[in-house]
Amino acid sequence: MKITILKRKKELKYGAVIASLLSILFGITIYLVIIGLFGVNLVEAINILGKSFISPTIMKDFLIIYVMGCGLLLSFKASLWNIGGEGQFYIAMIPGIVITLLLFNPETSSTTVPAFIVVLLVIITGSVVGAVWAAVAGTLKAFMNIDEVPVTLILNYIAYYLVNHLVSGPLKGKKTYGYLRTDEIPGIYRLNIILPITRTGNQFEEAVYSFLTQVSYYIALLVTAIAISVFTWWLFKYTKLGLYIKIMGSNPEYLYATGVNTKMLTLLIMALSGSIIGLSGSLYLLVEWGRIPYGIQSHTPGYGYLAILASWLSMLDHRLLPVSAYLVAGLRNTGLSIKIAGLGDTEQTLIILGSVLLGYSITRFIADYEVKIR
Amino acid sequence: MIDFYGEALMRMSAAFATIYLVALGHSLFELSGVLDLSIDGVFFLSTGLAVLFSAQLHTSLTTLGVDPLICTTLASVLTGLVTALIGLFLAFILTVLPISHGAVGLSLMFLGYGLGIYAGYPVRLKYGSIAQFAYPENIVVYSLTLLVSLALGLTTYRMLYSTAIGAMIRACGEDPHAASALGVVVYRTRLIACGLGYFMVGVGGSIFTLLWLRYWDIRSYVLGYGWFAYTIALAAGRHPLILIPFAGVFGALLEFNISIQATYGLPVDLAGMIPFIAAIALMTLYGSTKLKRLFEPPRGLGKIYYKEERTI
Amino acid sequence: MNTGTLRRVVLSINNISKTFPGGITAIEEINLDLYEGEIVALLGENGSGKSTLVKILYGVYTPDSGEIKILTGDKLSRVNFGNPVDAMKHGIILVNQTPQLIDKLSVAENIAITLSTLRSRDHSGFTSISETSKLLKEVSESTGIRVDPNEKAYNLTYSQKQFIELLRAIIVNAKIFLLDEALSYLPIAEKKRFYDILYSLKNSGKTVLLITHKIQEAFDLSDRIVILRKGRIVGVLETKNTTVDEVRRLMFGETNNKYIINNNWSNPEEEHVIEVEDLAVRDDHGREVLSNITFCVGKGEIAGIIGVAGSGQRELVESIVGLRKPIRGKITLAGVDVVRKGIKAVREAGVGYIPDQPLKQGIACDNSIVENIAIMFSSNPILINWDIVKEKAVEIVKNYNVQSKSIDSPVKTLSGGNIMKVIIGKELSYAKQALIACNPTRALDELSANNLVSVLKYKAHAEKLSVLIASEDIDEVLTISDAVYVLNSGRLIGPFQPSKVPRERIEELMVA
Ligand SMILES: Nc1ncnc2c1ncn2[C@@H]1O[C@H](COP(=O)(O)OP(=O)(O)OP(=O)(O)O)[C@@H](O)[C@H]1O
Ligand SMILES: [Mg+2]
Repeated sequence: MKITILKRKKELKYGAVIASLLSILFGITIYLVIIGLFGVNLVEAINILGKSFISPTIMKDFLIIYVMGCGLLLSFKASLWNIGGEGQFYIAMIPGIVITLLLFNPETSSTTVPAFIVVLLVIITGSVVGAVWAAVAGTLKAFMNIDEVPVTLILNYIAYYLVNHLVSGPLKGKKTYGYLRTDEIPGIYRLNIILPITRTGNQFEEAVYSFLTQVSYYIALLVTAIAISVFTWWLFKYTKLGLYIKIMGSNPEYLYATGVNTKMLTLLIMALSGSIIGLSGSLYLLVEWGRIPYGIQSHTPGYGYLAILASWLSMLDHRLLPVSAYLVAGLRNTGLSIKIAGLGDTEQTLIILGSVLLGYSITRFIADYEVKIR
Repeated sequence: MIDFYGEALMRMSAAFATIYLVALGHSLFELSGVLDLSIDGVFFLSTGLAVLFSAQLHTSLTTLGVDPLICTTLASVLTGLVTALIGLFLAFILTVLPISHGAVGLSLMFLGYGLGIYAGYPVRLKYGSIAQFAYPENIVVYSLTLLVSLALGLTTYRMLYSTAIGAMIRACGEDPHAASALGVVVYRTRLIACGLGYFMVGVGGSIFTLLWLRYWDIRSYVLGYGWFAYTIALAAGRHPLILIPFAGVFGALLEFNISIQATYGLPVDLAGMIPFIAAIALMTLYGSTKLKRLFEPPRGLGKIYYKEERTI
Repeated sequence: MNTGTLRRVVLSINNISKTFPGGITAIEEINLDLYEGEIVALLGENGSGKSTLVKILYGVYTPDSGEIKILTGDKLSRVNFGNPVDAMKHGIILVNQTPQLIDKLSVAENIAITLSTLRSRDHSGFTSISETSKLLKEVSESTGIRVDPNEKAYNLTYSQKQFIELLRAIIVNAKIFLLDEALSYLPIAEKKRFYDILYSLKNSGKTVLLITHKIQEAFDLSDRIVILRKGRIVGVLETKNTTVDEVRRLMFGETNNKYIINNNWSNPEEEHVIEVEDLAVRDDHGREVLSNITFCVGKGEIAGIIGVAGSGQRELVESIVGLRKPIRGKITLAGVDVVRKGIKAVREAGVGYIPDQPLKQGIACDNSIVENIAIMFSSNPILINWDIVKEKAVEIVKNYNVQSKSIDSPVKTLSGGNIMKVIIGKELSYAKQALIACNPTRALDELSANNLVSVLKYKAHAEKLSVLIASEDIDEVLTISDAVYVLNSGRLIGPFQPSKVPRERIEELMVA
């Protein structure tokens, strides 16, 4: 008996959709088998799983993972493996804290700069710092041909430690009730729109309303996600840089022989990738965290790695990225809910992400390939 | 009597053996062209498994009169066998199926973290400290570990660079299509490399908890020691011999992180950065020399191996 | 079948078809028997399915339908190869159109892989590298082909790699040899030796299936000629009963003599577009492979540099276009000081470049034809005007007769010759001042090669393009060039006028 795997001669109708669904199902089966073995109540777990994927709380994770995924995809398409999303994300929060708490803090100094300028400044400096952090690896790659994978990876840990050091030292907060963390960013710089709580008694209405609450709370993320997605689409469809990125990914030597300065290009791509991640870091600070806690490595939701996964799961296709970002976000939510429901602990998030995505990434290929057994 | 220096040396050799074995196994794995992004997860999983196996074996076998040292050693070997199975699994699916090495690797990393907690946590809860299941703090044990890991390294080196099977493994890493045309059965070769490689990773992981730290904690998975070994392997060009000084230096750096910090009064977080910065500095250093070519990653690393594509 | 004078069938191909994803049918219902002790030439234009057929026989591709039978013991039995190892174990060996050596391994290691695979069958265990080196030395002596077993493959030129692959085929002692354009580029002396080797293989009962674009070679060597056209066999001829014209007609159909090379030699103008002065260049090893190279090419002139494989052509063209830093010397190309300004300025000045390693420096195989063309023909610094680029791509595909499903097909799905045509087409359209090319007609079928030669001559003589061609193919250089140089052991001899110097004299200079 011989198993042959052949690329489909004709594309499957709805192939991508069917294959994705089947793969997710397969992944979930693996997950259920694992937790079943450890004696977790499966019915309850399935219940939570279903709810988590339609719960409005998925919004934040989805948007952040999607935006970061776009940033990573840029570099991945050029075969520049920026594994440093985590580091770029957190290091980009530092200027946000400095600007809002030390430079333009309305509570301690009489600043006349309009709030939106300050916010803009936070976002821009965040993007720049993210770009610079990624450009360190980009420079080493471009000019000394040092593999960017370990460098970006190590820069994650250096960023963790650096942020921790700053948070426990120069940026240590004064009004933190004894916690080791920075102070809270002044309210006028926070980017959330908070809708008042209303109760109508109608379940459907309340569900819609809670969805709207999430949308408005994370409106800044939503707008950014839309902007970045348009930008990515435009970049790859119409621009020379987009084409350079693609060719860089398949044959940089050829690109160089046509007269393109591939060193500067490498640097540029890494910086661009880092800036998008830096942007999402500063937004996360302004929208969600509002301060930086000490001990980043144990507080991080791991967006840097989750976004890498999302962009790989999309097979580096920016049109499929929303799907995989949604999947990853849904699974993370499920893990958290299972923990809240008392069915397990931290390991739940890890296991559900790992097993479902493992199953998914193993079986997704059936969309484009057929398996023949002879 | 073991004096201060003796103890320091012992801990250093344990640190070396951990980093060396993990990096060595990882190198062998990746030389065959399979991208190993699950390394950190599998490393953590093997620490958890080692704790679990050791506790089980100690409680069941010592009553039968089996020497505790043998129980712990068995636990290390068992851990290696389990991770070797994972290696075989990865080699198989990533060679036979046209799927993304990166996505599978990272997913498995998360799964490894999760399962590692499942394995280790109950032991930790039940006994508090796992020191009772660890290797004895005995100079012979430490020296033996050192010798065995060096011997494994030398054997791996000999295999890679003076036998045809080694040439096959490297050929798969460079260009599986061409390798196949030359007469390599790619998946079979990768099974060997990845199985052996992950065996060493597993044993290294077990040494981490059972010999070096003699401690296990649920939070260890954020330490990134697996990634650290990954980096060391890369910095040393995945070369078994060049890895030796690298693993020595960085093992020592990690081990003495705490004492450096105490001696020079450095803040904890700055001290924590040192090994990582040193790793980048080192890569930069050799990157500016002629050694660079030797240290290039395998050209086919992480590329999907799909037979019906035009072989170029 | 009874014994005696009747030769036995060793390989029987029945109804084999193969369609690739995207719907390209590469070969269709192929039926062919190969006998022991014969040399069969397989001819066909670019993209006719030759490589696909031999790759199926070697277990690289799986056929969609049909069966392959092979002689084992006394009878033909059906085989189902899953990979090349299966094929090798049945005594089949393939020398690929593009060499398939592992660059980072030494020559000996590359060969050891094959040997070890075959030996593990008779349980003599793993082969050591040193043992293989010894064996290689012996074979290299008996065939007269010089090889250094410890040389890394990345230091070899394309043709040198092909020698190694040929040696490998001989060492493993196969029964059926599939040679995919493997002999075309051997230097004269080696080629003669290889002809002898092939004859002796044949006399000892082996079978050779030889793919070549040189029709003459087929006539020199083969007993039978098989012709493929658009994936089907259109003729199986006894070599001694047929003519070159008959073969051409079957290969190309009626388009046969559409292209006629016009040899209207015009005197080059005085102005020099390529000037090289006292150039010295190192190879990847750091050895000085070229020294004291001085020559110039005038506007509208075609200069050809001929030399055996590995005599420094690759390093020469790479340094002329600015991809390799010379040790010393001065290069001016289309008004650009190459050593100081580098490849970018050279390209911007309108210089086309066809590299020695076309798949490495000449094209991105994962990208589509149109994308490969777009990066060179988009003048706007930020946006790409796809309409213009697509028009250009269609034009190139049409003018150079590239056979592909569409301009959006990935280049890697094209046949070897068609990939070459895309490279040539885009570089020739791009070249406004000069074209620097290495072995430009390699992998092209006769018709396409003639087409290229006439386009080149037209561009040079009518549009005043300066052309420098470095080649290992003496016929190629002699037919194209206005001036010929010989490159031997790092030194340049010439110029000669091709019509004035006898071919034998040039052959002598190449190996002296
Ligand atoms: N992997 C592939 N995927 C899709 N199409 C392919 C693939 N390999 C070959 N083809 C197509 O099959 C046809 C035959 O290709 P093949 O390489 O066999 O031609 P060939 O006769 O060897 O030509 P050449 O003389 O140019 O080498 C071509 O049209 C080519 O585009
Ligand atoms: Mg061909």
